[in-house]
Amino acid sequence: MGAFLARSAIQKFITLFFVSIISFLIIHLAPGEPSQIDPLNPKFTQEVLERFRKEFHLDKPLHVQYLYFYRDLLTGKSVSWKDNRPVLRKIYERFLNSLPLFILGTLITWTLSFPVGIHAAIRRGSFYDRSTTFLAYLLISIPSFFFAYMLIIFVVTHFHVPVIGMETFGISSKGWHFLMDRVWHLLLPSVLFAAGGIAVLSRYVRNQMLEVEGQDYVRTAKAKGLPPDKVHYKHALRNALLPFVTMFGLILPGLLGGSIIIESIFSWPGMGRMAYEAILARDYPLILSVNFISAILVLVGTFISDLLYMVVDPRIRL
Amino acid sequence: MRRILIAVPTLFILFLLQSYLWVPTYEEQTRGNPERLGEYIEGSIGDAQILNPILSADSASSAIESKVFEGLIDRDEDLNFRGRLATHWEIFEEAYFYLNDRASIPNVGKANFNGTIRFLRDAIRSRRDRDDRVSRSLSNIEKIEALPARIFEVSKQEKGAGREAVEVRIRAEAPPRIRLILRNVDQDLFDHLSTLLGRDYFSSFDGARFIQVHPDAFSGKRSSYAQEFLPATEHNPVIVFHLRPNVKFHDGHDFDAEDVKFTYEAIMNQRNLSPRESDYKPIKTVEVIDPLTVRIVYKELYSPALSTWGMGILPAHLLNSGALREEARRRGRDPDKFTLRQSEFSRRPLGCGPFRFREWRSDQYIVLEHFEDYWEGSPNYKRYTFRIVPDLLTQEMEFYAGTVDSYGVQPHQVARLGKDPTYQSFSGLSFGYTYIGYNMRREPFKDRRVRKALGMAIDVDKIIKYVLYGQGERITGPFVKQTDYYNHAIDPLPYDPEGALRLLAEVGWNKGPEGWLERDGKRLQFTLITNQGNNLRKAILSIAQDSWKNIGIDVRTDVLEWAVFIQERVNKLDFDALILGWAMGIEPDLYQIWHSSQTGPNQLNFVAFRNDEADDLIIKIRQEYDHDRQVQYCRRLHEIIAKEQPYTFLYVGKWTAVLDKRIVIMDVDPDGQKRYSPIKPTKTGNYTFYFNKWIKLEVPRIAMEG
Repeated sequence: MGAFLARSAIQKFITLFFVSIISFLIIHLAPGEPSQIDPLNPKFTQEVLERFRKEFHLDKPLHVQYLYFYRDLLTGKSVSWKDNRPVLRKIYERFLNSLPLFILGTLITWTLSFPVGIHAAIRRGSFYDRSTTFLAYLLISIPSFFFAYMLIIFVVTHFHVPVIGMETFGISSKGWHFLMDRVWHLLLPSVLFAAGGIAVLSRYVRNQMLEVEGQDYVRTAKAKGLPPDKVHYKHALRNALLPFVTMFGLILPGLLGGSIIIESIFSWPGMGRMAYEAILARDYPLILSVNFISAILVLVGTFISDLLYMVVDPRIRL
Repeated sequence: MRRILIAVPTLFILFLLQSYLWVPTYEEQTRGNPERLGEYIEGSIGDAQILNPILSADSASSAIESKVFEGLIDRDEDLNFRGRLATHWEIFEEAYFYLNDRASIPNVGKANFNGTIRFLRDAIRSRRDRDDRVSRSLSNIEKIEALPARIFEVSKQEKGAGREAVEVRIRAEAPPRIRLILRNVDQDLFDHLSTLLGRDYFSSFDGARFIQVHPDAFSGKRSSYAQEFLPATEHNPVIVFHLRPNVKFHDGHDFDAEDVKFTYEAIMNQRNLSPRESDYKPIKTVEVIDPLTVRIVYKELYSPALSTWGMGILPAHLLNSGALREEARRRGRDPDKFTLRQSEFSRRPLGCGPFRFREWRSDQYIVLEHFEDYWEGSPNYKRYTFRIVPDLLTQEMEFYAGTVDSYGVQPHQVARLGKDPTYQSFSGLSFGYTYIGYNMRREPFKDRRVRKALGMAIDVDKIIKYVLYGQGERITGPFVKQTDYYNHAIDPLPYDPEGALRLLAEVGWNKGPEGWLERDGKRLQFTLITNQGNNLRKAILSIAQDSWKNIGIDVRTDVLEWAVFIQERVNKLDFDALILGWAMGIEPDLYQIWHSSQTGPNQLNFVAFRNDEADDLIIKIRQEYDHDRQVQYCRRLHEIIAKEQPYTFLYVGKWTAVLDKRIVIMDVDPDGQKRYSPIKPTKTGNYTFYFNKWIKLEVPRIAMEG
């Protein structure tokens, strides 16, 4: 166990190192310069442009820039070029904004996918099964921006309440009202956020259930004369859950993901929008920091998955 | 188990849905909220970056800065300058020249110091005998002053042989100098004086013989140092601003001349990396004469100088080096590396403009409140909110719902809203144009007739009608169409493909056997490029390609990502023809874009337009302080550029805006009587000019309609 942990940790550090190099290279080798350096502005003389490049260390060779950047990031000194604010603080602020969306979206996805998927598996081939299949494919194939517009227009024209932003614009009430207002504003974006997830996850659940339902021990349980609910929900479901435990770990990187499209449409000041704007402005410190932290989250996530799998499945002992 | 699996999501979703019951409706937010009338909410796609007028370069930031900060001057409805923090100002000139004891003055011979001054005085007295222009220059001289010889030393950083920094000491024994105080700035002064003092009186002055250089290795640069430190003649325009008394910053601190000086110094401080530095480089000194008078002396003639004082003035007491060090200490930063760029001031700015800053939530909103002690009277709106809504469709929905008062409305939306009696709409010409530029270093664009023929083959009116939905006008030259610099006497190129073919035939391009234009067996062929992400330009690209194909020109096209387009093609001058646009300022300074010295890589005259008369005019426009003469030069320059056709000038776009009709201008008479009038755009199309007097009424005023 200890050896496994150590080996895994070393592997992940090596991966992280290569990720840091590759992401750094990709961003610096892509054409373009930070938006502060605007070569088509007649007010900018070459001298001023050079001074900007020097300030951002862009006049140095790439490996030196790499060292500068990761030194600043790891000591927490890295600042965004756009507004000179510390990168980690900016990310943290946005993380707090994205977090409720992420939590609610995940909750909706996971609480809805299971009943839908299990039911479809039990009644395989029925009208219910076929209609959920159809709905799942529909949700996967509708572009999310279209779906979002339809939803917004529907809600606004029928209920006359605001849906964009994190809260009703200019709201002054406090306490329960304010909390519920926040929840309401969370609802639509997280439903959209979850829509694709439900469609995919419920399919997984259905297939997993079907596979387990065909196993010998389930047939044995049925043959013993156990009530069907007990067979499905105790014997089958427990075994079908195994692969999903590992998926929990893989949710982690989603914390920093965010969705550019949904966040833009709903004016949600989240991570995705910040990262997207940073890319457009070639705000290297911010892009690379987000990238680096997501890489860490991915690695930590897979690590947790490995651990969870070991815990829940006694057959796996490394 | 089964029940849990169904009950949990059901309860969860019910909980989420019940939140609807607690949300205020749009109705409650707008009609039901009396405070809403005192608030103006502007919708914007993007957030501001940095709220410091000397550091920001994005339009969202400057929208906020224009409300929070105030400059010394701005432009009135007719685009003339008007005083804001300055009540009035004078512009005059101090001109200098060194006594040239080796030159001989016609009819006088070699003259010493006193002799030269006496000669000038006599010339001024008897000026009526001379030709008009010379006599104008002479009568403009207010005072002649003698400055005795002096010795001074300066040092300069140079790069040595091994690229190390060397300090070069320059010692000058400057000869006596004459200072002329002029009533008005006169760029022709020395030209005219040389008709009296002798044609080579100024040009033969050899400053290098008065200079000693240490170390000797740099003696070779003597004459360039002489140019710099002992120029034969020098124009020093002077602006004296008289500041408005009793103006306060939002924190109650008095505004005075030190703040003006501080703002200038902050821009010039290289550590601040101000993008506006080049505007203020021609300044020699900024002197505080008394708390309400600032005197600004320029090193050279630079007529756009006045307009740069529209820059928002920073509060020196909050940002001087002591205050910055204090902030650095408080926030645990290194005080030696702490500059204006790091200061929290850019997140909560403070100026002396009509609105004071209250709150900024990144990517959500910026809230300003009206400043009660604003010198011109507090704005009618109590609050100004800059709300960031990045999606155009949701912006429009919020506008309909009444939670946004203005937004970036699209032309097709205006057409729809224009018919609605609850809205008022505005439109006007913008300050920028779109063009096709030709690389004149390359064939076939070297010949003017080819460029003209290419322009004649494109039906620009159709582009405006179908691509822009009529939201544009034709333009024939590089000046802002609303200003008098623009020469309205020049007609746009006619759409005439036959005429284009005739012109091309003159140059030797004739139809070949396959229908393509050919010369010496070579096809007329080139590539037209533009950048990705601008659909208008892409549409023009196809139209131009098609129009040119119709007259037998083999045009390839390419659409490139912006960064590649600029770095690899435009900056490296590697293109045949391109579609691009310029945003213009009101000042008619065309140096960077049209002067022949700016044709190198990374410079903005990338089409390589070279014309001696144009070069001369560009310099003259830059140095001319008299508006009428400037207009005259600009119109001539416009004519030359239109004749040479380095660009095919296409169109200038129109902006559009929509407002609720209940928003009106409210004036308050001295006796407290309120008078309302509808919002009218100024002659130049600026509808927000009187923003400080706007207010939203509860019900539209029927009397005003129609």
